Amino acid sequence: MSKIICSAAIRGAHKIMERAEAKYEEAMGKWGPDQEIGFPNTAYYLPVIYGMLGVPVKKLGDVKDVLDRCRSLLPDMVDEHVWLPYLAPALEAGMATFFAEEIIEAIRYLESPDFYTKTEDPSNGNLWLGAADDVILRKRGVEFVDGTAPGFAAVLGAPPTEEIAVQLAQELQEKNLYVFMSADHEGRSMSEMLVKAGVQVGWGTRLVSFGPEYTATVFAAGFATRAAMSFGGVKPGDFKSILFYNKDRIFAFAMPLGTVTDEWYANAAGAINWGFPTISDTPIPEVLPTGICTYEHVVSNVPHDQLVARAIEVRGLKVTVAKVPIPVSYGPAFEGERVRKDDLFLECGGGKTRAVEWATTKDMDEVEDGKIELFGPDVDDVGEGARLPLAIVAEFAGRKMQDDFEPILERQIHHFVNYAQGLMHIGQRDIAWIRMAKAGASKGLKLKHIGDILHAKFHQDFGAIFDKVQVKLYTEEDKVKEILEKATEVYHQRDARIEGLTDETIDTYYSCTLCQSFAPNHVCIISPERTGLCGAYNWMDCKASYEINPTGPNQPVEKGETIDAKLGQWKGCNEFLYKASRQALDHYNFYSIVHDPMTTCGCCECIAAILPLCNGVMTVDRDYTGMTPCGMKFTTLAGTIGGGMSVPGFVGHGKYNLTQRKWIVGDGGIKRLVWMPKRFKEEAAERLKKMAEEVGIPDLPDMIADETVGTTEEEILAFLEEKGHPALTMDPLLE
Amino acid sequence: MGFEIPKISYNGAIKEIPLGKESNRITVGGETCYPFHLFEGNMPLPPKIAMEVYDATPEEWPQAALAPFADVVHDPAAWAQKCVASYGAEMIALQLASTDPNAQNTTAEQAVEATKKVAAAIEVPLIVWGCGNVEKDTEVLKRIAEECAGENLILGPVEEDTHKALGAAAIAYQHTIAASTPIDINLAKQLNILLGNLGVPDERIIVDPTVGGLGYGLEYCYSVMERDRMAALTQEDERLQFPILCNLAKEVWKVKEAKLSDEEAPLLGDSTKRGVLLEAMTALLFLLAGGDILIMRHPDAIQLVKGFINDLMGS
Repeated sequence: MSKIICSAAIRGAHKIMERAEAKYEEAMGKWGPDQEIGFPNTAYYLPVIYGMLGVPVKKLGDVKDVLDRCRSLLPDMVDEHVWLPYLAPALEAGMATFFAEEIIEAIRYLESPDFYTKTEDPSNGNLWLGAADDVILRKRGVEFVDGTAPGFAAVLGAPPTEEIAVQLAQELQEKNLYVFMSADHEGRSMSEMLVKAGVQVGWGTRLVSFGPEYTATVFAAGFATRAAMSFGGVKPGDFKSILFYNKDRIFAFAMPLGTVTDEWYANAAGAINWGFPTISDTPIPEVLPTGICTYEHVVSNVPHDQLVARAIEVRGLKVTVAKVPIPVSYGPAFEGERVRKDDLFLECGGGKTRAVEWATTKDMDEVEDGKIELFGPDVDDVGEGARLPLAIVAEFAGRKMQDDFEPILERQIHHFVNYAQGLMHIGQRDIAWIRMAKAGASKGLKLKHIGDILHAKFHQDFGAIFDKVQVKLYTEEDKVKEILEKATEVYHQRDARIEGLTDETIDTYYSCTLCQSFAPNHVCIISPERTGLCGAYNWMDCKASYEINPTGPNQPVEKGETIDAKLGQWKGCNEFLYKASRQALDHYNFYSIVHDPMTTCGCCECIAAILPLCNGVMTVDRDYTGMTPCGMKFTTLAGTIGGGMSVPGFVGHGKYNLTQRKWIVGDGGIKRLVWMPKRFKEEAAERLKKMAEEVGIPDLPDMIADETVGTTEEEILAFLEEKGHPALTMDPLLE
Repeated sequence: MGFEIPKISYNGAIKEIPLGKESNRITVGGETCYPFHLFEGNMPLPPKIAMEVYDATPEEWPQAALAPFADVVHDPAAWAQKCVASYGAEMIALQLASTDPNAQNTTAEQAVEATKKVAAAIEVPLIVWGCGNVEKDTEVLKRIAEECAGENLILGPVEEDTHKALGAAAIAYQHTIAASTPIDINLAKQLNILLGNLGVPDERIIVDPTVGGLGYGLEYCYSVMERDRMAALTQEDERLQFPILCNLAKEVWKVKEAKLSDEEAPLLGDSTKRGVLLEAMTALLFLLAGGDILIMRHPDAIQLVKGFINDLMGS
């Protein structure tokens, strides 16, 4: 930690300590040790002292012990020649500061009972509310727990002008934060400036004027401490749990505006104990490494118009957008809505013009959350039936954002745009196609609204994996072309990355227990090369899903020690399976159809079955309703092997998985495939060809029989022999 | 060598959850075996039956259900008192049906008033059940939690969508939560985890797995409850070791078979007994599946079920 900051904080703590001691002596002389003392209407005594030390200060006499503890906490002033780390002593000085300030404020309640209003709002011309009583704590604290108010900004001092004060207050309110105000800068305070500017101040507007002095900052710490005891069930004295509760759950930060005095530094150091960082408009030294706080500790010299955004970023606060701000109805009900030629107002893509969608990651300082820009003509600039090229670029930034999430987020554009009434969306990437209906355009719908939709919905559904998103829309031919070229390059990189992901190089697979509602014992474990059998979840999707919903159906599975590399069995997977299947299964193999194959819920896209006569394997997809050489139709097969059973000889899998390297590789892989429905074969032709080349039998696809060859083993066997299918000469499938 | 009955080895226990205030405390849960498998473990606290009271005069109730309460249906407090005094109700469940935006859409203030009146009129624990509309339940139950601080009401339904707001209110004002999920063991478990993450203490959680009446999907609910208990008692699933509440009366009595008169359905038997038997049979099956608290309506059905509980408990 910066030596300058630490020295100042410790210096400040000493000053505050001396003040508290003087006040205490004076009060003792006046009222004696039996005088009752405390904040009004609270069961938490002096809350910071009670929470941290477990000491209930009930009488003036109780203060003595606390002061002694403060003294023992308080480090010596930092010597010019000391080069030891300063963080710990500064934090202790900060803690002592809050204890001392509570004592000073408690004695103030004694000396001038009417100094604070003790109400929710200013009254009788008195602006200063003082400590929140327990009724306010409960009522407001609930909002901290349920997330309607994620936290608070403890503002010290005042900004240079009333306009800035109003703007800051509004911005903080818009983020649903409480603003706890204390202290003055050159005789002016934020609270007074707001009142002068005609802004209503009080708990009701979340602009809380705690007090005129810096010592009133401790009311914020007291509120946070009581929240942990009241809502976290933490016992007084369990300081560690109280501090962690605040770090993890209360999104608070200190915002000193103006000259940062030694006393302010001491308060800021105190706040860091609670995990609350400091974001300042003043050029003070920064403390950027993370440690006590989630991210940076002190960030300074931030321009006023960026203060709130920066604070939210540093504290790791998530943005919430309640409603999609567009002039038409919005919801999944409109997803299936078609915009036909007669209703068409504007069209982009679909082969008529260029259209491209691209989700990309940027640095934190390159993205301004919620910024929507359109470059080129919008609905107003074109006539009915117009066609425009379109590029939609969603730029994400966030501490948890990963390149791997880009395709997942990008894929959502389809759903999100479709949810808007009057908009139709088809395709993705560079084959996107958007149609806007006349009815939408007449209600004021613009292309720019696509940006608003994406911003709101990305935050609502995927806020856990990024912090900020801005959207750029281009409708000018040359710009769209430029984006298209960039995006195409990225698509290639992504595809190569997916191809390059192998089961061997990844230690963590993901479970999927979504289907346990009807297949209670079924557990999917999804690896990069064994994508979900339903076709809906690949490894990357599961990874993102876990980030978004850590208690959800996709949990990380450490694969652990390898039990059988050929058949694909790992110790960690088995252990997970045993627990998640509620002890119904203790192992299965990822890459085998013969030996304890993986289970299926019944949602599998395809079912493979062995054909003993052919020494091979057939597979049938859900869309093929005819008879198959194993003697069962898809539905019969699904009924037979679904429901979470491991049935040797049969395995459920995804369409894509068929052409992944690991498909039943333990039993010989793709070379075993002797039959599949014709349409499925055509659909998978390109990838099948590639796999065939990879295994060194380029004409394998032509050797695979389909229903036109036959639907009995006898019928296809002749064909296989004629073609010289490799399965016929492989080791016996059944030993 | 004599024959020995094979026994299931259990490794878990259902948590004991205290309901109501100090003065009227009832504790549920505590099982260390499957329901009534007293030869394998303990069931220290027999299942409890809560009697329904509605916040507005019920419409469309069959005569058989209405008859025992005809003199009190217009007054929830009097209704609740009658349930306790005349029918020995162990708990009361106030159904806030009239708050439904699609029904009378009564206000949160009216619901608070009704709750306070009922709470003041009885000396047994009180369950308060919302209308099932997410927004309205959030508003209404939050207000009730606030205004009835310290009553330790059992508030439900608390769903995934409402768990933050109502969970926070339950922590702040010290009430118990009925964590409600749509007939799915994993969703039930997930909601319990979420409530725990939010900070709701375990002793304030009851599980509502959602139930259907006899002939209307009961089997599915039965299986889910059964699995819930298997996971809790034999598979060390700590987040499912909570007592189960079955809000069954309104499901039973709304179906056609309970409502048809003798003239309309001569083949279905005596209409005064039919609904009672449907309700008793439904309740009995949910007891066998693992129910700890049953919300019931008809005094005769309750009598039958109580007798059944006594028989099975050997008391």
